[in-house]
Formats: sequence, C-alpha cells, structure tokens
Amino acid sequence: MSLLRHRAPWIVLLLIAGASAPGWMGAYFLGVFTTAYYFGVFAMSWDLLFGFAGEVNFGPTFLIGVGAYTAGLMNNAGIGIPLCLLGGSATAVVGGLLLALPALRLRGPYFGLVTLVAVLLLLDFIVIFAGVTGGEIGMMVPDVLSVSATINYWYAFGFLVISAFILYGLSVSSVGLILQATGQDRIEAAALGFNVTKHKLAAFCISALFSGLAGGLLTFYGGLASVDTVVSLSITVQIVIAVVFGGRRTILGAILGSIFLILAGELLRPLGQLNTFVVSAVALAVIIFFPDGALGWLLRPRDQA
Amino acid sequence: MMLDATPLLDVAGLTKRFGGLVAVREIGFAVRGGEILGLIGPNGSGKSTVMKLVMGIERPDAGSVKLAGTEIAGWPTHRIAREGVGIVFQHSRPLHRQTVLENIKLALLPDSLFRLAAEPHVEERAREIADRVGLGAVLHRRPPTLPFADLRRLEMAKALARNPKVVLVDEPFAGLTSAEVADFSQLIDGFRQAGHAVLLVDHNVKSVAALVDRVLAMYLGQRIAEGTADEVMRDETVRRVYLGGRIETHPRKELDAKGGEALLEVRGVDVFYGKARALQEVSLHVNAGEFVSVVGLNGAGKTTLFNAISGLVPFGGDIHWAGGSLRHRTPAWIARNGIVQCPETRELFGDLSVRENLDLGGQHLSRPDREAQLAWLLELFPILNERQRQPAATLSGGEQQMLAIARALMMRPKLLILDEPTLGLAPVILEQLSKALGRLRETTPITVLLGEQNVTFALPHADRVYVLEHARIVWQGDPVRFAAEMGTGYL
Amino acid sequence: MRGLQILIDGFAISSLYGLGAVGFTLMFGVCGVLNLAHGGIMLIAALLGWWIAADYGAGPYGGAAVGIAAGLTASYITYFIVVRPIQRSRSIPREEEEIFLLTGTLLWGVMIQVGMDYLFSNNPVTMQPMVSGIIDIFGVRTPRNEILIAATCWAAIGLLWMLVNKTQMGKQLLAASINPRGLTLLGFELSRIYLIVWTIYGLLTGLAGVLLASFFGISSDNAGNLTASAFTIVILGGLGSVPGSLLAAYVVGYAETLTAYLVNPTLRPIPALLILVLVLYIRPRGFLGRR
Repeated sequence: MSLLRHRAPWIVLLLIAGASAPGWMGAYFLGVFTTAYYFGVFAMSWDLLFGFAGEVNFGPTFLIGVGAYTAGLMNNAGIGIPLCLLGGSATAVVGGLLLALPALRLRGPYFGLVTLVAVLLLLDFIVIFAGVTGGEIGMMVPDVLSVSATINYWYAFGFLVISAFILYGLSVSSVGLILQATGQDRIEAAALGFNVTKHKLAAFCISALFSGLAGGLLTFYGGLASVDTVVSLSITVQIVIAVVFGGRRTILGAILGSIFLILAGELLRPLGQLNTFVVSAVALAVIIFFPDGALGWLLRPRDQA
Repeated sequence: MMLDATPLLDVAGLTKRFGGLVAVREIGFAVRGGEILGLIGPNGSGKSTVMKLVMGIERPDAGSVKLAGTEIAGWPTHRIAREGVGIVFQHSRPLHRQTVLENIKLALLPDSLFRLAAEPHVEERAREIADRVGLGAVLHRRPPTLPFADLRRLEMAKALARNPKVVLVDEPFAGLTSAEVADFSQLIDGFRQAGHAVLLVDHNVKSVAALVDRVLAMYLGQRIAEGTADEVMRDETVRRVYLGGRIETHPRKELDAKGGEALLEVRGVDVFYGKARALQEVSLHVNAGEFVSVVGLNGAGKTTLFNAISGLVPFGGDIHWAGGSLRHRTPAWIARNGIVQCPETRELFGDLSVRENLDLGGQHLSRPDREAQLAWLLELFPILNERQRQPAATLSGGEQQMLAIARALMMRPKLLILDEPTLGLAPVILEQLSKALGRLRETTPITVLLGEQNVTFALPHADRVYVLEHARIVWQGDPVRFAAEMGTGYL
Repeated sequence: MRGLQILIDGFAISSLYGLGAVGFTLMFGVCGVLNLAHGGIMLIAALLGWWIAADYGAGPYGGAAVGIAAGLTASYITYFIVVRPIQRSRSIPREEEEIFLLTGTLLWGVMIQVGMDYLFSNNPVTMQPMVSGIIDIFGVRTPRNEILIAATCWAAIGLLWMLVNKTQMGKQLLAASINPRGLTLLGFELSRIYLIVWTIYGLLTGLAGVLLASFFGISSDNAGNLTASAFTIVILGGLGSVPGSLLAAYVVGYAETLTAYLVNPTLRPIPALLILVLVLYIRPRGFLGRR
C-alpha cells in the first residue's frame, strides 16, 4: 500500500478532521469521541509498557483508578481541578513505583498476576471504605471541566494529541530504542551496558503518569469516579483489545483501536449487553488471525521477504 | 608487540556450583592487552560458564575477576559492560524489529533515561563500524532478512562499537565458510592490534589455533592444560579427554559376509536453523544388525542429524525407514515404529523414580513382555536394579546415562540412536557403558547408530564409521581403515 | 460452638475451592496454559445444570449430570477454538504465546460471562440441594447438602490422585508435566495427552461449578471472581503443584471463613489477597512450587 509510505499527510488529515469535529459532528458523537480519546491515552500508556518494555500489565486500571479517585477525593476536599489532576497523577506514579519495584523481579506470568492482584486489592479497598469512596455506586465530584460538549471534546482531543506526541516521540527516540532492547532481550541489553530494571521502572512510571492523568480528566469530564468507569476488569479487557486490535508496539495503533472499540460499543448498543459479546468475539478472532493488528498489518516492513 | 605488565583480565580461583554440580572449579588465568587466549573444552567442560561468570550473567560462588586491576566479580552485567567488557555470544542476538543501523547505534548509546536524541556523531560512527565489518550495504535491512554470516558480523559490530578493554568471543567460527572465517579472524585480530585483550571460547583447538597466542584447556570444570596451541594439542591429558586414549577396534566377523538390507537410508539431507546451515547433503545408511558410528566434534551436526531422523526438526532431502519415508511422521510415531533416540540431554523424568522411568518406556508393550524386558535390562545394568526406587535426578551422571539407554531399550527398538552417551562421564563409567554396549551387540540383533566425539569409545564396537565435519560427511569406511588414516590427525 | 461451626463451614468451603483450583493447576502443570476463562466454564456448568434441574424437572442429580457435561463441552470449545489455534499459529512468536493465551482466554471468559448474562440474567440462582435436611454435629446444625458437597469434592480429588499415581495414563500426565520432549521420544503423542488433560479439566471444573451452585448459588457476575480466586490459590500453592493447590485452598478457605465469622463478612476476600501479596514478595514460587 504505497498510500501509507508517507505518513505525514495522513496525520495532518486526521488532525484537521479531529480538530474541526465540533463543526460537523453532533453533540452525541462528540461525547462518544471524547470518551474514546481518554481511552486512547489509557491504551497508548499500556502499549508503551507492553509493546516496548515487554511487560504485560493486567492491572492498568490500578493506575487509572488511583489517579481518578485521588483527584476525586482532593476535589471533594475543596481543591481546584488543576491541583487535583497533579495530585492524581503523582499518586498514580507513586503507586506504580510501589507495584513495579517488587513485580519486576518476577518472571513469566507472575508479573502480570501481581498487577492483577493490585487491581483486586484496589477494588476491595473501594468497596470496604465505601463511606469515603462511594463504594460500587461511585464518587461524585463537585467540579467538572466544562458543561459544553464542544469544550470537553477539545480538552480530550488536545490531551490526546499531546500525549500521543510525547509517547510516540519516546517510542522512536533513543530511550525508546533502549526500552525495546530491554523488552526483547534483557541479557543482550545488559551486555550492551543498559540497566534493564531502571529502564523498565521508568517505563512503568511514564505509563502510570499518563494513565493517572487520563483517569483524573475522565472523572472531571463525567463528574463521577466509579468502579465501572475507571477500575473494573472490563476496562482492562477493553484496553488490551484496543491495543492488540490497533497493533501492538505502534503506540498510534492504540488510538485507532480505542476509537473502533468505543464506536462499535455505541453502534451496537441496540444489542444491549450482547455488544460486549460481539466486540470480544471480533477481538478474539483478530488476535488469532491477525495478531499484528490493524496498524501493525498495514505498516508491516516492506523488506520482510 | 610490546605487552603490558598488568593483565587486563585477571581471573583467580573462579568457582561456580549449580546445585550439586560443580560447573567451574578453581579456574585462573590472565590475559594481557594485545593478547588472545583460547579457552578450549568439550561440551560440559565449563568454558561457557566461565565466560558467563566474567560477564556477570552468572554470579561466582568463589574467586576473583579483575578488569585492569578493578575487582568486578559479583557486579551486575550492565555495570561490567560499562566498565569495559564486551561479549560476542555464540548465537546471534539482534533486535529483530530494528534495522542493522539501529542495532549498531544501540551499542553506541549511553545508559541514560533522559537523552532522547543520540548525539550527532553516533550515526556517523555507526556507519563507520558497519562498513568496517562489511555491513555497509544492508544498513536498512532487518535481521530476519539477513544471511547467517551477516548476523555474525552484526554481533562483531556491536562489540566494536562498545570498544571494550576485554572482548569475550564464544565459538566465533561456527557455521561460517572459510572465506568468512578469514574475515572474522581479521576482525578479532583487530582487537588485538588495538591493544585489547581477547578471550576466545571454543570446543575445537584446531579451528582457533592460527589466531590465539595461548590456550587453556578445560574438562569437567577444571583446567587440564595450558600453553601454546601446539603444546595443548599434543598434551596427553587433552588427547585422552577428546579422543579417549588409544584406539582399538573389534570387528565382528559374522557381519562381513551378510551385507544386510538397508534399514535406514538418509539421502541428501539438508537442515537449516534459521539461517545457519546445520547439515549439508548428508547421506548415510544403516543395515539391519549393524553398529554404525558417526564421529565428529561438537557442532559438527551429529545431534541435528539424529533429530532429523527422529522427526524433531524439519529437513530437506529424504529419510527412508523400513521401506517408507519419514518425511511427514510425528516424532512419537517414529519412536513407536522402531527408531528410539537416547539424546545428548537424556531427557529423563527427574522427579520420577528409576523404575517409573523404565515403566514409561515399556508402556507400549504387553504386561508380560514389559516385565521380561525390564528383568533383562536390570540384569544388563545392575546399578539400576539397586537404585530402582530413587528419583532419577538423584543419580550420578553415569547412572543417568545408563537409565536413559535402558529406558530407550524398554521400547524394544529396531534402531537405537545414541547421541554422545559419554559426555561428561568419568573413564570408569565409560568402561561399564562400553561393556554393556558390547553385550548388547553380541546378544541381540539390535541395530545401533552412535554419535560420538570420543573416538576411543566409538570405534571398538562399530562395523562402519562416518565422519561428520562442519555439517558434511567427509569420510566413511570401516574402523580399521579409520584408525590407520584418521587417528593421528583427528584432533 | 462457634469454633466448630467455623471448622465445619471452613472445611466445606475449602474443599470446594480445592476442587476448583486443582483443575486449573493441572492445566498449567501439564499443558502450560493459564486458562482465564476458568470461572466462565464453572458458570456454564452451574447455570445449565440449574436450568435443567429447575425448568425441566430433572432434579438436582439430573441437573448435576447435565452441568458436568456442559462443563466438559465448554472445556473442549476453549481448547479447540481458543487455545489450540493460538498455540499452533505461525504468526505469533514463541515468546509472546503466553500473553496471547492469557488475552485470548480472558476474552473468551468475557464472552461466556456476557452470553450467560444474556441467557439467564445476572440474578443469582441456587441449585436445589441434592440431599435435604439438617444434621446436628455436636450442637452445630449443618445442612446435609454441605457435607455431601465436601465429600464429593474429596471423592473427585481422590479419584484424580488415583488416576495420576496408580494408572499408566496418570504416569504419562506426570511425565508430561516434567518433560514433554522426553515423553515424545518415548512414543507418546503430546496432542493426545493434552486432549486427556482438557477432558479431566472439564469434568473437574464442571463438577466444581455445579457444587458451587448448590452450596452458595452463582450468578454471571461471579465469573471473574471465580477465576481470580482459583489462580490466587494456585499461585499460593505453587503453579503446577496439585498438593500445593489443595493446601493453599485450605489456607484461603479458612482465612476467609475466620474473617467472615470473627471480623466482618464484607472483608471476606481480603485475607487471601494479603497472603498472596506476602507470598509473592517472599517466596514467589508458592508453598510447594517447583521452579
């Protein structure tokens, strides 16, 4: 597909389409895309860890949830949104460090399982301290980013573009190259003089920062921090689907995957609960037959004989 | 060349244990700048472990490793690398999704979390290095598309990029043509010219003799000889370890007349591991009742040949067994239908008892047959009878080998394939094993295909011998002729 | 009195946990697969069993039989449609096979949960007890059903033990978990061994689901938690170790029961998670794990 040889025009096209959306998209779809954009940041952060550092994180919602709930709690204590977001992402980074430090010593399935345990602990924590966290119903926050669908959209779009810029830039930088080495072959990376643990920890913290920030922003968009919006296992599943679908290790594919997922969920709404079934089934088929995902397949290197 | 007084790499009393096994025992040596030391030994001698200990991939249990006077034993690998040790692994380890240029650039990068862009000279230097090793034309290709020799060049490039004081090179010439070997020798010599120290690890003295200044020979974790390449090749202990001592042959009279029909026919078989050619146009045959030895050093291709016959690796060419082709048969089918392999790694069920291992071998037989076979084997290998209830993992090396062979024999194979049964075994055990094989040969119509590096073990019972070298059959004939023609020049 | 009640209830719960975990650990030990659709398979067995028992008047025994059969079928579907294609796929590199298996089985588990929710709604259902009545054990009034369930769990585990230790096939399974290549060299087709393991897995897990429905009740919302609790126990006991899983099942079962009775029922799931965190920090291979 020679159309894709020059990516810049495509990116410019998408940016223009995205920025101008409030002009031609209805409020309903603006809302759908707003959620999709925040989801895109969740997914990109996950891809950084998975595709580059080579670590499967089954508990990204731990980082997202910590960021969201901290921001929410701070807001309920009367602190303004910007500081809440800062607090939320800082806590997420600290939480990420606490999780990663011991977890990175473990090999194989254990790392993924530790991350899953972290989510379960968070879930139980939320339910037990329901008085503070609002339990299963969730915690309302007094402030919101905006009441206008358009402004909310632009916040989300801007955040997505900046995050994509940073995360993608990292992935193609020297740091990204080193990270890929640590993910693909840790002994070779060490033999070349790289401290594997240090780099993986850094990747974890970056992933935590963006996840926590996105979680906070999502909370101030919907006015609610709850298990269903930021912590539940189904969100983890959706993130994994989005990344594998879009193409792991592409960072930008995660955005495509998220948009597809959220859109598909909306369009299949008439099916009721079965929309999750259909989406999961499609995702399962994709990972079996097209493991490289959409973008991965489109962008496959031409010199592969 | 003037050599420095202080060695760049100074190793003393290096010891490493893996559970009960002492892999490296009190190894010491020194390599000066501008010098190449060859570390030689067969599989299981501990030479690769020594290399890993120096590089920090394994932690030594005792001993010291000094790099230009600084003690580095026990340091993490990346710190040792930054201090000035580089390694060229035996199996190429490129980043598959990155281009050649990116792979080399990686080796030039500092270990920083914050330098997002490499300094401008990095790209230029990477190109320089690529040209020097001969990769200038493939800078933008990715490793899966490159031929084997180019992947090895890439490994050399990475080492050059790091510009280490000490370079560790593992089996540098395996899988290369003679022209490529010459290129690589030059590159390694380049390190020496630049005043660096080189530790070359290999299992074959002959292949590195031209390049090294000195040689240290290892066996079962210990040093057995040191000196120039010539001195080591002529050393008594070394020859015994590699060749096993004086060569004896015991030709069987009754087989001369018979001739037998070809039970196993291997025709023009090729095997590739990725890019590396492991077997090239190999043809041989084994007649019913024969004992055929395939002799060759580590890496010659014996295991690959046996794995092709047993259906464990895909191959080009054809293999015929009892009238049919083995091409599309599963390994389990091949084992059930008469070809049973006792691999180099033995593949015992360590947690199960000796008896349970044997029983599993006999599960395809009817109960009375199984009991009869078991009784016969316990008589052939009395030590197994004694240790019936013990877990297989607690047996000594020699006992494990006997168990592996006995288990294979439980299947009543028509063709028994033995891959390096003497690996790492003490001479006393070799005697017992040799006797057992002798009895097997005399009392049963079994056909045996034996792959061995130890010529003294391989020859006495053989009816015919093939010599495998660098993936090809280079000689075939009977043992008497082998002793006459190949004996002295073999090592 | 309380103590005895905790002892008895804890025993029954632990036995059920044990049965649920044993299949999971066997699957990992022999086939190397961590099946994240585990809870889903229990759910299918439970719901279908309940449905047949209630709506078709087959009674609890008929329902149990159907449930176990359903569990077995679900297990086969998991193997042939999700796990085997991923294992045989040539586009998935070996190092990433594990991740793809985890993701694939996770997705399949979600599909089961949503599908069951659609067919049966997420209201909890309880299977009719197989034996009714209450028995008095030293003053503690215990439902007969509870005792039957514990006994059935142990009967199943006992059968598994006999299979593994006393039969030829069992030795093959043990050998496969230790060294699959060794087994191939002895003429055993691994594909056949794997099929046998998925069969045993389906039967054990189906039975666990049916018994769970009879003891606690079940709803489609539970699927994820069931998987989570099974692998918590399996990690605690040591991946691949059947005795380890049983030991861990009792540790977790009693920890939960003690918490529920003595502290607060809502804090029930906490001790298991805390013990897990401790174990992962101190001894990641679990109580009796090998590697």
